[in-house]
Amino acid sequence: MKILSLDLIAFGPFTKTAIDFSAGSEGLHMIYGANEAGKSSALRALRQLLYGIPERSTDGFVHPFSKMRVGGRLRSANGEVLEILRRKGRTRTLRAADDQTAIADSTLEAVLNGVDAGFFAAMFGIGYEDLVAGGREIVRGGGELGRLIFAAGSGLADLGTVRDGLQAEADALFRPAGQKQKINDAIGRLKQLRSGLKDAQLSGSEWARHDQALRAALQAKGGVEAKLAEAQRSLSRLQRFAEAVPVIADRRETLSVLKSLSDAVLLPVGFGERRIDALTRLRVAQNEQGLARASIAAIKKTLSELDDPSVLLRHADPIETLYQELGSQRKAAKDRIALESRRNMLRTEARQVLRSLRQDMALEDADTLRIKKPEAVRIQELGAEYERVVTRIESIREKIPEQEQAVASVDARLEDLPRPQPVDDLRRWLAEAGEVLPLEKQLASLHPQVRNLLQVCTQSKAHLGLNAASLSDDSRLAAPSIETVRVFEDRWDSLERRLASLKEDVRKAETDLSETERRLDESRLAQDVPAEADLATAREIRNRGWRLIRRTLHGETLDGVEVDEFSASFPGAGSLAEAFEASLRGADETADRLRREAERVAVKARLLSDRAAFHARLVKLGDEVAAAQSDKEAMRAEWVGIWQSLSITPRTPREMRQWLSDFNVLVDRAGDVWKREAEAAELTRAIDACRVALRRCLQKLSIPVGNEDALSALVQHARRVIENEDGLRRQAEGLSRERERLVGEVGAAKARLKILEEDQCRWQRQWAEAVRPLGLGAGTRPAEANAVMEELKSFFDKLREAEVLRQRVAGIDRDAEAFSSSVAALTCAVAPDLAGRPVEEAAAELQRRLTAAREVLSKRQALQQQFNQEQTKLRTADGISAEIESLLGVMCAEARCKRAEDLPEAERRSFQRRQLEEQLGRDEKRLILLCGGSALEGFINEASAVDPDGIGSDIERLKEEIGGLTAEKSLLDQTIGSARTELGRMDGGDEAARIAVEIQSILGGIERDVEHYARLRIAGRVLTLAMERFREKSQGPILRKASELFNRITCGSFEGLRAEQGPDGHPVLVGVRRQGKEAVAVEGMSDGTADQLFLSLRLAGLDHYLDANEPMPFIVDDILIKFDNARAAAALQALAELSGRTQVIVFTHHRHLAELAARDLPGSVLIEHHLN
Amino acid sequence: MFKFIHAADIHLDSPLLKLDAYEGAPAAEIRGATRRAFENLVRTAIEEAVAFVVIAGDLFDGDWKDYNTGLYLVSQVSKLREAGIPVVGVAGNHDAASTITRSLRMPENVHFFPSDRPDTLRLERLGVVLHGRSFGTPAVKTDLAQSYPSAAAGCFNVGVLHTCATGREGHEPYAPCSLETLRAKGYDYWALGHVHRREVLLDDPPVVFAGNTQGRHARETGAKGCYLVTVDDAGRPTLNFKALDVVRWEAATVDASGAENAYDLIDRFREALLSYLERAPDLLTVLRVTVAGETSAHDEILSDPERWMHEIRSATVDEAGERAWIEKVVFRTRPPAGARKPEGAVGELLALIDEFSAAPDVLSGLSSELADLAKKLPREFKEAPEAWRLDDPNRLKELLAEAKPMLMRRLLQDRRNP
Repeated sequence: MKILSLDLIAFGPFTKTAIDFSAGSEGLHMIYGANEAGKSSALRALRQLLYGIPERSTDGFVHPFSKMRVGGRLRSANGEVLEILRRKGRTRTLRAADDQTAIADSTLEAVLNGVDAGFFAAMFGIGYEDLVAGGREIVRGGGELGRLIFAAGSGLADLGTVRDGLQAEADALFRPAGQKQKINDAIGRLKQLRSGLKDAQLSGSEWARHDQALRAALQAKGGVEAKLAEAQRSLSRLQRFAEAVPVIADRRETLSVLKSLSDAVLLPVGFGERRIDALTRLRVAQNEQGLARASIAAIKKTLSELDDPSVLLRHADPIETLYQELGSQRKAAKDRIALESRRNMLRTEARQVLRSLRQDMALEDADTLRIKKPEAVRIQELGAEYERVVTRIESIREKIPEQEQAVASVDARLEDLPRPQPVDDLRRWLAEAGEVLPLEKQLASLHPQVRNLLQVCTQSKAHLGLNAASLSDDSRLAAPSIETVRVFEDRWDSLERRLASLKEDVRKAETDLSETERRLDESRLAQDVPAEADLATAREIRNRGWRLIRRTLHGETLDGVEVDEFSASFPGAGSLAEAFEASLRGADETADRLRREAERVAVKARLLSDRAAFHARLVKLGDEVAAAQSDKEAMRAEWVGIWQSLSITPRTPREMRQWLSDFNVLVDRAGDVWKREAEAAELTRAIDACRVALRRCLQKLSIPVGNEDALSALVQHARRVIENEDGLRRQAEGLSRERERLVGEVGAAKARLKILEEDQCRWQRQWAEAVRPLGLGAGTRPAEANAVMEELKSFFDKLREAEVLRQRVAGIDRDAEAFSSSVAALTCAVAPDLAGRPVEEAAAELQRRLTAAREVLSKRQALQQQFNQEQTKLRTADGISAEIESLLGVMCAEARCKRAEDLPEAERRSFQRRQLEEQLGRDEKRLILLCGGSALEGFINEASAVDPDGIGSDIERLKEEIGGLTAEKSLLDQTIGSARTELGRMDGGDEAARIAVEIQSILGGIERDVEHYARLRIAGRVLTLAMERFREKSQGPILRKASELFNRITCGSFEGLRAEQGPDGHPVLVGVRRQGKEAVAVEGMSDGTADQLFLSLRLAGLDHYLDANEPMPFIVDDILIKFDNARAAAALQALAELSGRTQVIVFTHHRHLAELAARDLPGSVLIEHHLN
Repeated sequence: MFKFIHAADIHLDSPLLKLDAYEGAPAAEIRGATRRAFENLVRTAIEEAVAFVVIAGDLFDGDWKDYNTGLYLVSQVSKLREAGIPVVGVAGNHDAASTITRSLRMPENVHFFPSDRPDTLRLERLGVVLHGRSFGTPAVKTDLAQSYPSAAAGCFNVGVLHTCATGREGHEPYAPCSLETLRAKGYDYWALGHVHRREVLLDDPPVVFAGNTQGRHARETGAKGCYLVTVDDAGRPTLNFKALDVVRWEAATVDASGAENAYDLIDRFREALLSYLERAPDLLTVLRVTVAGETSAHDEILSDPERWMHEIRSATVDEAGERAWIEKVVFRTRPPAGARKPEGAVGELLALIDEFSAAPDVLSGLSSELADLAKKLPREFKEAPEAWRLDDPNRLKELLAEAKPMLMRRLLQDRRNP
C-alpha cells in the first residue's frame, strides 16, 4: 500500500491542509515542521486516517469532535486507488470523499492487507521513544538472540516487558513456596476454615451424652423431692401440737365462767346508747312546747291594732298609670317651646330665598315654581352635550388648514423627482450573466492548472527519459503491460538468485577444496601416512622374494639379474635371504603402521576422495554458471527488445515497474491537460457572448464602458444602473401614495365639521324648550340654569320641614288635655279631699297614698305567717314527747325490767356475757386452724395426749433432715441446668453450614484465579517458544542484513554482528570489531550504539518482512535526533534504500536533519514537505 | 379427597457450590438455603392441610457430620407433628452414609421404612397404604423394587423408593429398576427420589421424581420443590408442582452474534438478566452466564476476560441489587470469520498457537507450566462437580484460545492510539 495524499481537513491545528505523497517511486518523504507546527498531529492524523480517531482524541481543540475530518488517497499493491474520509465516531466513521457515502471497513481492510492497528503501529512505525526503549531492552536482555530477532521481526521493542509482565502477574497469583499470593492465601484460608468447620460440627455422641445426663438428674431429683415433702409434713404436725396446748387450757377456763352468766339477757349492741339518747330527746321536746304557746298569744294582740287599706289598693293601677304619664307631660311641655321657635326660623329663610328668585311672589303662591324630575334631568343632559359639541367643532376647524399645507408640500417634492429610463433589456442580460459569471472564475483557475500540469508532464518526461515528442493515448499501447514487467521481474529475480546461489556454491566449493588441500599438505608434512597401496606394494615385494627363495628351495638356480633386481630394493642386504628378511620386515612394518595409524589413514583417504569430488563439483558449477549467464543475457536482450517501441533503454524490471507506473500517471496527466484545455475554450466562448450583449445594453443607456471590460465588471455596472432606476421608481410611488392619503384626510375633516354644526343648531332648539319652566330665556348658559335649579330645591326643602314641625306642636297640645280630665275623675272616686288641687299635685299625692296602703298590707301578711309557724311547732313537740315515752316502755320489756331506771344494771350483765363468748370463739378458731382439717374434738384429744416435753427435740431432728434433702436437690438442679445449657447450645444452629458456604466461596475464587494463572503461564510459554521458533527460521537473513546495516550506521566502528554462545548456553548477539577478533557484548555498548543496533535490527526485520509480504508505508518519527551527523546521514541512507521497497515517511522538527537529507540523498528519492 | 406432599433429596445444610463472593454480591442471602427451602416445605404442608408427607430419601448429605443439622430437622418435623401430619420416608444413599441418622431420635409422627426388607404402613383413616424400603448401605446396586409387596386391595397404594430408575446422567446407578417392575406392582403412585431433576416418568400410575428442594450448583437449574398430590374420592391422583427453593440457579446465554463492541454485550446481558429476574421476582437468582457467538468484540473481551466479568457483575448489582448473583461468566465467543492475520514474527506466534491447539500431545506439554500449582491445589477443588485437571488437553486448549487475545493485546493492542 502507498499513501498518495493526506488531507488534514479539520484535525488538530489544521484546516484544509493537504500533503501530497504521490511523488517518488515509493519515496522517502521527509515532513519538516518546526515546533508547534503540528508535526505530532499530522503523524496521528496519518495513523487515525487508517484506523479511526480514538474516543478521547486530543486533536479536537480547534475543530469540535463532530467536525473532525481527515482524508486521504491510498493505492493498494494491485494499483487500485481508494479515496477515503475519516470522521470521529463510534461506528461507520469511514466515508467517501463527498463526506456522505459510507465506505465499508472491509474495503479499507482489503487495501491494508490485513494489517491491523496494533500491528501497523508496531511493525511500520518507529519513534524516538521506541528507539531508546529498544536500545535499553537490548542491553537489559543481555543480547538474547531469540528476543532480538523476534523484536526485529515484529517491531515490538518491549517484548521483555510483556514477558516479565506475564510472569509478574502470574507470580502475584501463585508461587510454589509462597504465602501471600492470591491462590496461596486462599488455600491457607481454606485450611483454616476446614479446621473451623471441624470445631463447629457437633457429633451425635456428644449430644447423646448430655441428653443422658439430663434424664438421670431429672429422675434423681424426683426421689429427693418426695422425701423432702414427707419430712416437711411431719415437722408441720409437731409444730401445730406445740402451738395448740396453751389455747386448749384457756378455752376450758372461759367455759366455766360462762356457766354463771347463763340467765343474763343478751342485749343488742348499742342498747345503752339508745336509752340515753331517748331520755335526752324527751327533755328537749318538753321545752319546745312552752316557748310556742307564749309566741301565739303575742301575735294575736299586734294584729288587732292595724288599719284597713283595701279602697286605695283597688284603684292601684289607674293611680300608677297617671303617675307615669305625669313625667311625659312635663317633657312634652318643654319640647313644644323649642319646636315652635325652629319652625318660625325656617319660614323666615324660605321667604328670603323666594325673594331672591321672584321678588313679587308670596310664600303661599310659590308652589307654581316646582319643576318635575324629568325636566330637571333633561336640563342637565343638554348642559353636558353642549360642552362636547362646542369642543369638537373647534378642534376640526383648527386641523383643516394644517392638512391642506401638507398636500402642497408633497406636490412640490413630486415635481422635483427625475424621470425613469427603460432597463428591461439590461435586466434580462444581467440574469443571463449571473449564470455565466462562475464560469469566468473556473476559467481563471483552469489556466494555471493546465500550466502546472504541462510543466509536471514535461518534468516527468525528462525524468522518465522520454524524448520531447508529444504524448498521446496511443503511447500507453506502445509500453509493455505491468504484467509483462512482473513476469520479467520474476525471471530476472530468479536468475539473479540462481546466479548468486551458484556463485555462493562455487565460492564454498573452492573454499572447501583449498581447505582439503591444506589439510592434505598438513598430514603429509607431519609424516607421510602409509596407504593401503603402500602395504600392497610391500607385500608384493615380499612375495616376489619368497617366490625366489621357494624356487631356490626347490633347487632351482636363480637368474642373477632377478636376484639383483630384488636385492636392489634393499640397500645393505648382502644376500637374497637378507633381502627377503628386509622385505618381510618392511611388509610387517607397513602392516603395523597401517593398523597403528588407521585413523590417520582413513582421514587421508577421505581427504583424497573429497578433493576429487570438489574438483568435479567445481567443473559442474562452472557449467551451470555459464548456462545461467547465457540465460541472463538472452533475457536481457528480450527485455531490451520490448522497450524498443518507446526508444527506451530499460533498467531492471523492478525499476521499470515503477517507471511504468509513473509513465501511466504521466499519460493520464497528459490526457487531463487536453481535457482541461478544451474545457477552457468552451468557457471563453460562453463568457464573450454575454459580455457583448451587456456592453450594448449599457451603451444604449449612455453608460460609458470599455471594450475590454471583464464580464464581472460589466455585471457590476449593470447592477448599479438597475439598482439606481429601481430606487427612483420606488421613491415616486411612495410620494404618490402619501399625497392620496393626505387629500382623503382633508375631505373627511370638512364633512365631519358640517355634521357637527347641524348638531349645534338642534341642541339650541332643545335647550330653549327645556329652560322655559325655570323662567329663563334661550340665551341662558347651562351653568346658570343649574344654579337656579339648586336654589329652588333649597327653598322647597325648608318649606317641607316647617310643615312637619307644625304638626308635632298640635299633637303635644292634644295629649295635655286628655291627662287633666283623667286626674279629675280619679280624685273624685278615691280621695274627694283632693278635689280642686292642681292636676300635677293631685296625681303626686294619690301615688304617695297608694304606697302607704301597700306597706300596711305587707305587715299584716307577715304576722299571719308567724302565727301559723308557732302553731305547727307546738303540734310537733307534743308528738315527739308521746313517741319517746312509748319507746322507753318497749326497751324495759326487752330487758325484762319494770322501770326505765333498772335498765343500766341489765346492760352491764349483758356486756360481760358477750365478752366471754367472744373469747371462747377466738380460742376455737385458733384450734381449728391448727388441727389442719381433722375434727376439733379429735385434735384436742390428740394434742392433749402428746408429751409436751419431747416435742421440741422431735422438731429439731426433722429440721436437720429437711436441710440435707434440700442441699441434695440443689446439686441435682445444677446438674440439670448445665446439661440443659449444653443441649441448648446444640440448638440446630447453622454455624458449620455457614463455614461450608464460605469454603465454597473460596473455592469459586480459586477456580477463577487458577484459570487466570493458567492463561498467563501458557501465554508466557507460547511467547518464549514462538521467539525461539522465529529465531531458528529467520536468524540467517535478518542477522546478515542487520550486520551490514550496523556496520554502515556506526560508520564502520563495528564490522557487523555475530551470534555467539552465551554464558547460559543460549545464543546471544555481539558486535564485531578488528577483523572479527574482538566481540563486544551488548552490555558493553554505549546507549547511542545500542540505539543504532536496535535500528539496524528493525530495518533488517522490515526488509525480511517485505521479502514475503506486500509493502506498507514505514512511518519514522524523529529517531535521529541523538545521532551525530555522520551516523544520521548513514541512517538516512539506509532509510532511502528501504524506500526503494516501500514508502518511507519521516517526520522531523530538526532543520539540520532535513538539510542533511537534502545534501546527501538524490532528488529522485527524497521528497520534502513543510508544515507551517 | 385428601392431599399429600411428595418431596425428596433435601440434602439439608449442603452448601451452594463455588459462589465466589464479590463486591455487592448478596452473600447473606445464600446461607442456609436448603434449610429455608425445607421450612417452605413444612409451611406448605401445614397450609395445604395435607394428610401426610412422603420423603423419598436423602434428607442429609452423606459426608456432612454436624449433628445440629439433625436437631434442626427434628425441630421442623415437630411442627408437622403439632399439625397432626405424619412424615413417611425411606433412607437414601446419602442418609445411609450419614453419621447423623445413626443417633437421631425422630418425633413419633415420623416413620422411616426398614432397610433389611420392604415394609408397609397403613393409614387406616384415609385408606392409604405406603410401601417402602430404605438403603442400608450407601451403595445399593440391586433392584429394591422387585421385593416390594403387591398393592393392597381397596386402598390407595403409594410406593416410596430411592432409585436411579433406568439410570440418569450425573447420578450414581443405585437401586436401578424398570418402569415395568414398578407398574406391575399395581400401586397408585410411585414417589421416587435420588435424581435431582424432577421428572414424571409415567402418567398412569404416576411414577415421579420430585427432584431436590433446592438447587445447589450451576447444573441444578430452574424451579425446585415438591409435588402436591391431590387424590379425589375415586382415588385418582392429580399432580401440582410447588416451588420451595429460595435461591434459583439459571444458565443464562447471551447471544453475542453481531455485537459491535463489548459494551453492546453488556447491554444484551442486562436484557437477559431482566428476563430471568421476571421469572422469579421474589427469589435470589444465581446465574451462570455464557456469552457465545461470532462477534467483532471477541478480541476485546477475551483480551481481558476478568475485566468484562467484573463489568457483568457490576451491571448485575446495578440492575438487580440483591436479587441476583453471577456465579461465573463463560466466554465462548468467536472472532468474525475471514479476519486476516498479521505476518512476520507476530504471524509466527499466531501460527504456533494454532499448531498447539491442533496437537493434543504438544498441548499436554504446556501442563508442565502448571505442575507446581497442581500439587498445591486443595482436594475440594479436585473433587468438586465440574472439576478439571490441569493436564486435561481439552481444558488446556480452551485456556490457550483464551490466552491468545490476551497475549495479542499485551503485544499490540495498547499501541493502537499513541
